[in-house]
Amino acid sequence: MNSELKQVIFVYKKNKLAVVAFFIAVLLMILAFIGPLLSPHDPLAINHGARFEEGIWDGNTEHILGTDNLGRDIFSRILHGTRISLSVGYAVIAITLVAGLFIGLISGYFGGVVDIVVMRFIDILLSFPPLLLALVIAATLGTGLDRAMLAIAIVYIPSLARIVRGSVLTVKEMPYVEASRAMGGGNFWIILGHVLPNVMTPVIVYLTLLLGDAILYTAALGFLGVGIDPSSPEWGAMLSGGRDYLILGKWWITLFPGIMIFLAVLSFNLFGDGLREAVDSKLRL
Amino acid sequence: MALYKYFIKRLALTIPTLLGVSIIVFLLIHMIPGDPIDVMIGDRVSQEARIALEEKLGFHQPLHIQYLQWFSSAIQGDLGISIRSNQPVFQEIMSRLPATIELTLVALFIAVVFGIFFGVTAARYRNTMIDQSMIGFSLLGVSIPIFWLGLMLIMFFSVILGWLPVSGRLSMGSGVETVTNLYLLDGLITGNFALFTDALKHLLMPAFSLATVSLALVVRVTRSSMLDVLSEDYIRTARAKGLLDRKVVYVHALKNAMIPVVTVIGLQLAKLMGGAILTETVFSWPGIGRLLVNSIGFRDYPVVQGVVLFVAFAFIFMNIIVDLFYAYLDPRIRYE
Repeated sequence: MNSELKQVIFVYKKNKLAVVAFFIAVLLMILAFIGPLLSPHDPLAINHGARFEEGIWDGNTEHILGTDNLGRDIFSRILHGTRISLSVGYAVIAITLVAGLFIGLISGYFGGVVDIVVMRFIDILLSFPPLLLALVIAATLGTGLDRAMLAIAIVYIPSLARIVRGSVLTVKEMPYVEASRAMGGGNFWIILGHVLPNVMTPVIVYLTLLLGDAILYTAALGFLGVGIDPSSPEWGAMLSGGRDYLILGKWWITLFPGIMIFLAVLSFNLFGDGLREAVDSKLRL
Repeated sequence: MALYKYFIKRLALTIPTLLGVSIIVFLLIHMIPGDPIDVMIGDRVSQEARIALEEKLGFHQPLHIQYLQWFSSAIQGDLGISIRSNQPVFQEIMSRLPATIELTLVALFIAVVFGIFFGVTAARYRNTMIDQSMIGFSLLGVSIPIFWLGLMLIMFFSVILGWLPVSGRLSMGSGVETVTNLYLLDGLITGNFALFTDALKHLLMPAFSLATVSLALVVRVTRSSMLDVLSEDYIRTARAKGLLDRKVVYVHALKNAMIPVVTVIGLQLAKLMGGAILTETVFSWPGIGRLLVNSIGFRDYPVVQGVVLFVAFAFIFMNIIVDLFYAYLDPRIRYE
């Protein structure tokens, strides 16, 4: 395992862009932890005396990225937003991982009627355009970050379950599974001890590629005002709030949160791409 | 297998999916936490009004009866009545459909035409500045949030330069002779040049921002597929025959590089339909996506249900068409 990991890192490091993306991604993760501590103002504090203030380009050192229509400090909101976006992203990954693994393992390992029913259901979920599915589920569940996480995860669970099922079908025919069964190993033991570890590589790659997507979907839901509280410092919700003031020339309200979404999605996508390439090269060897 | 037999088989396989989709869409309204009637009209209305709405929506009947009634009406084009506008949901959808079709078709056109052109150009000038900038563009393009891109385009082209209109499909007060309700087409059919340019001006930014992600993917796939094909022997032969480089690239190579490109284009349908929801919201484009988002905001659940069912069905049928197109391009698929 150790030498395999070294091989993956070796290939990954050759991709300069992926390395830069990795550092930006790490920086964002750190920011998600300590950002709220660095934030100079309360992200929710409304200050009618400081509406539409321009930022540091106008000599404003109090609000370096300016303020929005309610006088809230954009820099502080962006810092808090980092935590929201990344935690939704991770939660989506965690939910997708647990549910996707569970469904895929059961469906692939036991086969039969369970498999047919589950796979049909998955086909049905996959026949919705993803954003539409997330949107209506979020609308049905109501407002709240936990519900938004669930709504976004439901979009990915079917794909992951299908990937896991596919790998399980191959792995369960392997001699070591047969050997374990011959030694009297129960299904539970075989699934956890032998099948699960051997289906994890495609799962990890899928999940890394998913993080950028999940952040984008969170922002999209926030922008559409569905499932995410419009006053919260979520990046998409900030864009939506600043939209009406763009025509009045108050560009800073929408520019900075957008850059953050872009940067986060881009760096996690490049990180995921780089990792996939590195893992693929390992598989080829 | 003949193509029409493949089509029938593919259609038959879709029936369970269509039923499943309809059940999910139907159940959505029943999964709202709390009483859906309360959520839709608030709890301050009289008991009579509540009962009237309950009866109108059929909520007093058992769930499976409700579903059967709803579904049998739905396949006959009766999707219920909007709570907010009191108009039939189907009519609401149909009146907004042309706007969405126009937007997505133009976006698809931009993505395909420019995507293939840029991809071929990048492959042709491999490892030059042109190639590098195309790669860079496609890298940024797949990650950019299209709703933010839309806002930035508005800021630049509408607010700063004042070249393009901020929102809507046409300028205020421009009289429209509608034939198809696709204004670009109407402008051409009726020879109304002013209508055509006005519609085009309104369409440019929404269509471009909607197209971005797909465009970037098409560039990426066309480039790599072309690079594979350009190293083939028959390309060298064509060059050795003394054919023009342009002819070799666009006639000999491109045709053989198209299958992966067509696959990616087929996959863009879902992206564009999802993206239309966002783009229409950014540009106040009066299409189905905006109808959906507004109806969610007003808790007009019959409309939400209707739109979701309509879009999901449309999506499934478009996928069948894409599959048929593959089967036509690559006959091996029909025998799988």
